[in-house]
Amino acid sequence: MPSQQKDLYLPRPAEIREVIAENSQIKTFVLSFVDRQYHDKFSYAPGQFLMVSIPHCGEAPISVSSTPANGGTIHLSVRRAGKLTEAMHDMKKGDVVGLRGPYGRPFPMTDLAGRDLLFVAGGIGLAPLRSVINTCLAAGHGRRITILYGSRTPSDIAFQADLATWGQTANVSCLLTVDRAEPGWEGDVGLVTALLAQCCLAPRESKALLCGPPMMIRAVLAELAGRGFADEDIITTMERHMKCGVGICRHCHMDDKLVCKDGPVFTLEELKRLNVLELRG
Amino acid sequence: MTDKYILKKDHLLPLLRKLKKTHRLIAPVQNRHGDTLFTVIDNLDEVRIDLENQAQNSLKQFFFPQQETLFSYSNPAGDSYHFEPVAEEIPPTLYFGVRPCDLAAVLYLDVVFLKNAKDPNYLQKRQNSILVGLNCNDPFASCFCNATRNGPFTDCGFDLQLTDLGDRFLVEYDRSRGQEIISQWRQFFAQAGEQDVKAQYQAFLEARGKFKLQVHLDQAVKKLAEDEVPDSVWEELSMRCQDCGGCAYICPTCTCFTISDLQTSDHAGERIRSWDACTFSGFTRMAGGHNPVDRQMRGIEKRFRHKLQFDVKKDNRPSCVGCGRCVNICFGGTDIVRFINMTCCENS
Amino acid sequence: MAGLATTFGSGAMTNSINEIENAQVMLVIGSNTSEAHPQVARRIFTAMDRGARLIVIDPRRTLLARRADIHLAIRPGTDIPLLNAMMRIILDENLADDLFIEMRTENFYGLRDMLYRLDLEETARLTGVDLAGIRAAAQLYGRAQKAVICYCLGITQHVCGTGNVQAIANLAMLTGHVEKEDTGVDPLRGQNNVQGACDMGALPNVFPSYQQVDIDDYREKFERAWHACLPSQPGLTLMEMTHGGKNGPLKAMFIMGENPVLSDPVQARVEETLDNLEFLLVADIFLTETARRAHVVLPAASFAEKTGTFTNSERRVQMVRRVIPPLGQSRTDSDIIMDLSARLGYAMDYESPAEIMEEISMLAPIYGGMQHDRLENSWGLQWPCWDRRHSGTPFLHKYYFTRGKGRFVPTVHEPPAELPDEDYPFLLITGRIYHQYHTGTMSRHSALLSREAGEALLQLHPGDGRRLGVRSGDLVRMRSRRGEVQVKAQLTETVKAGEIYTTFHFSEMPVNRLTISAKDHFSQCPEYKICAVHLEKV
Repeated sequence: MPSQQKDLYLPRPAEIREVIAENSQIKTFVLSFVDRQYHDKFSYAPGQFLMVSIPHCGEAPISVSSTPANGGTIHLSVRRAGKLTEAMHDMKKGDVVGLRGPYGRPFPMTDLAGRDLLFVAGGIGLAPLRSVINTCLAAGHGRRITILYGSRTPSDIAFQADLATWGQTANVSCLLTVDRAEPGWEGDVGLVTALLAQCCLAPRESKALLCGPPMMIRAVLAELAGRGFADEDIITTMERHMKCGVGICRHCHMDDKLVCKDGPVFTLEELKRLNVLELRG
Repeated sequence: MTDKYILKKDHLLPLLRKLKKTHRLIAPVQNRHGDTLFTVIDNLDEVRIDLENQAQNSLKQFFFPQQETLFSYSNPAGDSYHFEPVAEEIPPTLYFGVRPCDLAAVLYLDVVFLKNAKDPNYLQKRQNSILVGLNCNDPFASCFCNATRNGPFTDCGFDLQLTDLGDRFLVEYDRSRGQEIISQWRQFFAQAGEQDVKAQYQAFLEARGKFKLQVHLDQAVKKLAEDEVPDSVWEELSMRCQDCGGCAYICPTCTCFTISDLQTSDHAGERIRSWDACTFSGFTRMAGGHNPVDRQMRGIEKRFRHKLQFDVKKDNRPSCVGCGRCVNICFGGTDIVRFINMTCCENS
Repeated sequence: MAGLATTFGSGAMTNSINEIENAQVMLVIGSNTSEAHPQVARRIFTAMDRGARLIVIDPRRTLLARRADIHLAIRPGTDIPLLNAMMRIILDENLADDLFIEMRTENFYGLRDMLYRLDLEETARLTGVDLAGIRAAAQLYGRAQKAVICYCLGITQHVCGTGNVQAIANLAMLTGHVEKEDTGVDPLRGQNNVQGACDMGALPNVFPSYQQVDIDDYREKFERAWHACLPSQPGLTLMEMTHGGKNGPLKAMFIMGENPVLSDPVQARVEETLDNLEFLLVADIFLTETARRAHVVLPAASFAEKTGTFTNSERRVQMVRRVIPPLGQSRTDSDIIMDLSARLGYAMDYESPAEIMEEISMLAPIYGGMQHDRLENSWGLQWPCWDRRHSGTPFLHKYYFTRGKGRFVPTVHEPPAELPDEDYPFLLITGRIYHQYHTGTMSRHSALLSREAGEALLQLHPGDGRRLGVRSGDLVRMRSRRGEVQVKAQLTETVKAGEIYTTFHFSEMPVNRLTISAKDHFSQCPEYKICAVHLEKV
């Protein structure tokens, strides 16, 4: 964590090496810091985020979707949502953005080792989980991994390359569903909770990691509770409006917690002690 | 022998004149329209330092300006984007006539800006500051620092502290920098006697009985902790709130800020941080339009919970310092005193 | 203004804003006070804290309406029948102030005869409000000792705007709720200095202090002072100027601090008029949509760069002082006018704004005692202030109305110019929101205000939304007989089914492409509040 430094708010230029269009709304930007030395020293953990600067648009927090295990480039998957992300979507290979970070409490990777892992994601929510999944796989995770991913339509399915790889990996099962089918789609239609029903899980030996829209989170939580998952074994990552990223500006408050510092990764047990709108429904 | 001193009132101005030679001087000054504000003093002979009225502003704006540049940037082309820190010289500054509430507020700002991450802009301004306090013999109309327990007299947070004893000030120090001033300008300070110390206690006792408001802050803190504040209180206050942000801007301990880019030309601009307020709906609204706070019914909830519940939980004391400025500025009638009164009346 | 001028003789708030705190009953009609006049709303809240009751008459369930004791969700454009019904109930229940009527008013029988012919049931049906609600409001208002009526553009921006105001004045006089402290009729003005502009004769028919141009004595007074020959006929109204079209009456215009391209109805017509001028000169602090069409633009100074006075709703004249010199090439309004005048061959030689104020106090009797030295270091003075010994007038019409006796002017319902029909089934109401000011010329430069409210939203009833397949955030196409715009929908029960509401602050969504040029016959104020539109999802 950056502590006292003169450049607490000062981003560093990073070049876009590649732009991957995941679907009509999501693009993954492959980045590396212009300062090679800094880039080589730079490290992060799954679940952490970076503050991304775009000229004249200010900053926004974006979680890292790549794994630090492979070194190399940083992936940021960005959904078109506001002024900054619109502007970022217009950028191309070779353009430069500003980055500072990484910030936030990452996923508890050591707790995940030795457990069956259930990942449930909707839409852009797969981005931070992708970082975890690939980190686990790179570390040779010995237990079962189940990935459930919901999209609006088949053409909205993002991270297709990863999904294909995971589908072919031993010990990993990867199930997809869409809200609305399109011609040629033969897979599941419906909510991810329906996929959950198909899975054989060992709640006491598992950890569940969720990320997606509030409606999905609520439905999945209800299902997991019914299957006997303990609150401390359910982990999610929260999204809030953020400005400073370092625990000062207080935009991302959730009661006495700050998402940028105490999160964005929380266990359900922690969240239940707070007044969180997403859980209330 | 005590480590307390006497400064004759007649010698105050000469002392300030000496101190001003090495420090920028900021003190409450009454301007020609009758408003008293902490102001940078250029010429001691042209201003009226006002120790009779409460300054309308606190010290917040000097350590954490309403708007400040974090750095400048330029992007002459898509493939270049540079960031330049903005160098600002902050002269050593002496703040004179700071009341216990405003001293307590500065200590709270230290927690906010220096505990999690060290905010460089704040630190730079804070490092070079000397605080000269003034105990309150006569609490002002909207004061309730007795309820927040940081006044009307204080024993911490200052470098030097004055207590008005009529024709003289009793002077105490809390930090080495205060002690240095006394030893450097020894001619101004006489050793205080037992009578002086007794007079200070007497002033303290009397001041405690002069509060005009009775504010049951402890009770509100307890009700919040036990989750006993009915929804109707939040609804009533949220609907009355006129969304002006005045309470947060005037509050010496409200520190929420926003960061935005101020474009200065096609290819350059500055990153600005400016005061924000948690009562604004844009404060929590996310890029897609989703707002995790029900603004209509609970828009003002965060403001009071933060000060009276979350900060109590974290630091064992509320972050309201009882200065009463929000009571005077709020025109929706949703200030913290009203909240406390509503909360404490609801159940009785 | 014409409405109060014909009934009371003076077109301004009869009370001071502070007096509202002491009222027992407040009737707010056609005013979204908490968004448009927060400083007035604050007094309303304070009065309620002290036990006062609030009646709100508004088609929308505004924040104030939600807090009201009685909210009458009136059908837009039926204010006169509603007010008449209240008056009839007041008569029937013997709540009229006979003594006041006898002593201070004239033409009561004209009003009474009209009211007695009224069919209450039928009138209630017309307004869309149930009779019991109207009765409760009439009783509450009629029984109060101290009652104020606050109204705003929801009353005046109608074809029957003057009639609406007269009906309000009738109601106040019928119950004796005027001529007293804490009791009266209070039109809330739209801008900080619109009252001052009217006071200074920025109206087609009067010189400063409402002295009519067609009365020889007044005109000659100004001719002597200004050494010039002045017109004896009233000039053109705003709509006549900006809606002249190709062959309009004007060849040149000088527009100061106004943005008619966004603010006036039927945008296409305004643009046509401006584009056909031989010469258009605009002075403004920013390059507005109107300034972009000008041949010459003069950068003007902002409020912080000039010295002078503003006159607010409660007739209070207050000093505004220069804090910084004008930025860049900008100059103050008086500087611009004086220089322009000199170059046109008429030297205006004023050393300072204070000297101009001295002339105002000589020529405008209601400003008679208001020189800068008296306004310095105070909260200002309220007109009328006849001379330097006069301490100003907190409330108007003490002892007698400005015009002598208050005159009852019976008014009857006049339907809006354009109501919804099969082709254009929605009734569009336009208005303002808290975070933006007028056409956004200034307020949209604030990042924080733009974050709070950065785009136009169309309030639409959830039932209508379902029928049209529109959800909050969806873009809808809104079309009237005059034009079309696209706007983001916001489903809310603030509006009734069939009625929709949006604002005119945003140039990206110029809602005045749609509004109608129909206007009040007396004041010439356009009917911004009602036009018929068609909606569809984009």
